[in-house]
Amino acid sequence: MLSIEGLHKTYGDVVALDDCTFRAEPGRMLGFLGPNGAGKTTAMRAVFGLVEPDAGTITWRDAPIGFEQRQRFGYMPETRGLYPKMRIHDQLVYLGRLHGMSARAAGDEAEALLATFGLSERTRDPLEKLSHGNQQRVQLAAALINRPELLVLDEPFSGLDPIGVETMGQVLRERARDGAAVVFSSHQLDLVEDLCEDVAIIRQGYIVRQGEVDQIKDASPVRHLELELADGDVRQLGELSDRVVEQVGNRYRLMVPADLDIRPLMSGALATGQVRRFIYTTPSLSEIFLEAVA
Amino acid sequence: MTGWHGMWLVTKREIRERARTKGFLISSILTVVLITAAIVLPSIAGNAAETHRIGSLGAGNEAIVTAATEVAEAEVAGQPAEEADGFEIFTFSSRDEAALALQAGEVEVVLIDGESVLVPTEGFGGTPLVGTLQQAAGAVRLQELVASNEEAASVIDVLSRDPLAVTTLAGEDSAAAERGTIAYGGLILMYIAVLSYGNAALTGVTEEKNNRVVEVLLATLRPWQLLGGKVLGIGLLGLAQFAATVIVAFVALRVTNALELPDLDASIVGVLVLWFVLGFSIFSVLYAAAGALASRPEEAQSASLPMTMIAVLAFFLSFGVLSNPDSTLSRIATFIPFTAPFVVPVRNALGALTLVEHVLAVIVTVLAIILLIRVAARIYSGGLLSIGRRVKLREAWRGTN
Repeated sequence: MLSIEGLHKTYGDVVALDDCTFRAEPGRMLGFLGPNGAGKTTAMRAVFGLVEPDAGTITWRDAPIGFEQRQRFGYMPETRGLYPKMRIHDQLVYLGRLHGMSARAAGDEAEALLATFGLSERTRDPLEKLSHGNQQRVQLAAALINRPELLVLDEPFSGLDPIGVETMGQVLRERARDGAAVVFSSHQLDLVEDLCEDVAIIRQGYIVRQGEVDQIKDASPVRHLELELADGDVRQLGELSDRVVEQVGNRYRLMVPADLDIRPLMSGALATGQVRRFIYTTPSLSEIFLEAVA
Repeated sequence: MTGWHGMWLVTKREIRERARTKGFLISSILTVVLITAAIVLPSIAGNAAETHRIGSLGAGNEAIVTAATEVAEAEVAGQPAEEADGFEIFTFSSRDEAALALQAGEVEVVLIDGESVLVPTEGFGGTPLVGTLQQAAGAVRLQELVASNEEAASVIDVLSRDPLAVTTLAGEDSAAAERGTIAYGGLILMYIAVLSYGNAALTGVTEEKNNRVVEVLLATLRPWQLLGGKVLGIGLLGLAQFAATVIVAFVALRVTNALELPDLDASIVGVLVLWFVLGFSIFSVLYAAAGALASRPEEAQSASLPMTMIAVLAFFLSFGVLSNPDSTLSRIATFIPFTAPFVVPVRNALGALTLVEHVLAVIVTVLAIILLIRVAARIYSGGLLSIGRRVKLREAWRGTN
């Protein structure tokens, strides 16, 4: 388990991390969310010793993280970068070897990864000859080359086309299924909602929400209700007028308190005749996010 | 994985990728071709015949000059396009008179009593004329031997030595002067190498920041491993290229005899190579430290000026040492890591350096290299993530990124 406890970091007057605390479990994916400048990148860099925190501890499997541990981590930084003129296969092998792999093991893994990303034909091409999306795939392969126990990815999906997003998401899910702890930041909240079991939301250097996606959604004080009646008016059903968020024709979107008993609403709706739509859900992750960082 | 292993992986990558670039191949081939051409072409084109002005002091010189004329003619025999050099004798009555004429350039050399030859200075390009005269003198001795029916042993004796003793105007011991010349030649080579390859180290260390791979690398490497590995890789490749160039030049010179090379004294050359490597290393690390401040090659250039100044100053300082190897300045410069590589080989060649001084100078320089690598690595990691702008030295040192 990656455990980040009470991390503080200031740059001059700017507070980047303020008592930042969260955990990432093996075999699970954690979406690390926060507005720009909230401290995501600083926290991720701290895991790799690229930023020296002013206070706080970072541990992996209850031990402080040192050179030995980092050999078994994988990292995709926000500022992408590899050697543009180096052949992609050589590049992956080099990074594998820096992570303590033998030349042969690194070579095999590089080939397997490039095959996964559909780049088998291009192994001898220098990175700069590849399209932007393919370069990004190589960058992810670079983070995966040592079969890491902990994967930390800063915005891995930004700039990818939907196919790229799909492949990358699948690969990350596989790695989590194989037992890796996967942490990634993203602004694509629906994607996070699809992929991740856990989220941590950071705001101004402080973690404002952390836990399982479903639990966090359940814990929200509000629920969404979408109603469309064929014959009746939604507003006849009760004191709902001031809860309407959106109305399109006869279709209403409402925000109701989580503790509101909806059974009378359901029976009331059915009593009016045909019910075209009755949806009752927790808020989406992006709503939770917007509410959390407001 | 040990620290050295990580560094060595960086070094290997550096050498492999650099050696693979077109730029490296082209510059290597071009240098070798140019050097060879510069040396070989003039000797193919042939020298225009010239008339040498030989001073003569005392008796027994005419026979040598006459023989020299024959030697010169024999050299061009069978080459109709070429004409043989001629010789003109100027007779002097005193050594002072002869020395004055030599200094004024009225004569090129002065033969004394058929036994020795006085030249203005000793050094590279110390005229092929002396070689011709040695040959001529050898021929004269042989003729004398044959005439007097001497034993074969004497013939070998004549053939195995230069018959004429060479002295210079300053009255220097010719062997010492020759050693000084070798040392100085080494210095010039080092100066060229430092200036040409220092820049490679300077811009080379900005590569990872410029292409931003640094964050990936430093997630698993320590800054000193990356920096040390890079400097070592760039340095080794530079040394290899430079050594190849020097060897080609040396062979071409030997083959064409375009320039008379002094005999190479193994111990002098050994010391020269040692200090070449030390000097090359310390300046590479120095340039790398300057490069560590920058995040792009263009910025690095502006940080390079002070380093170049240090190299230039040290080089010029070695001129002073050559003429005055025992001065206080020479002694002090022996123990300053940046000047030592330029000063120590010269003092050593001129016999002005004690073993203790020499060992101390090596220790001081090696320690300085280690210290500089640490300083450079700290600057490097301190300014690491401020990509896209030049880091202030103080910031980098404190590591406020």
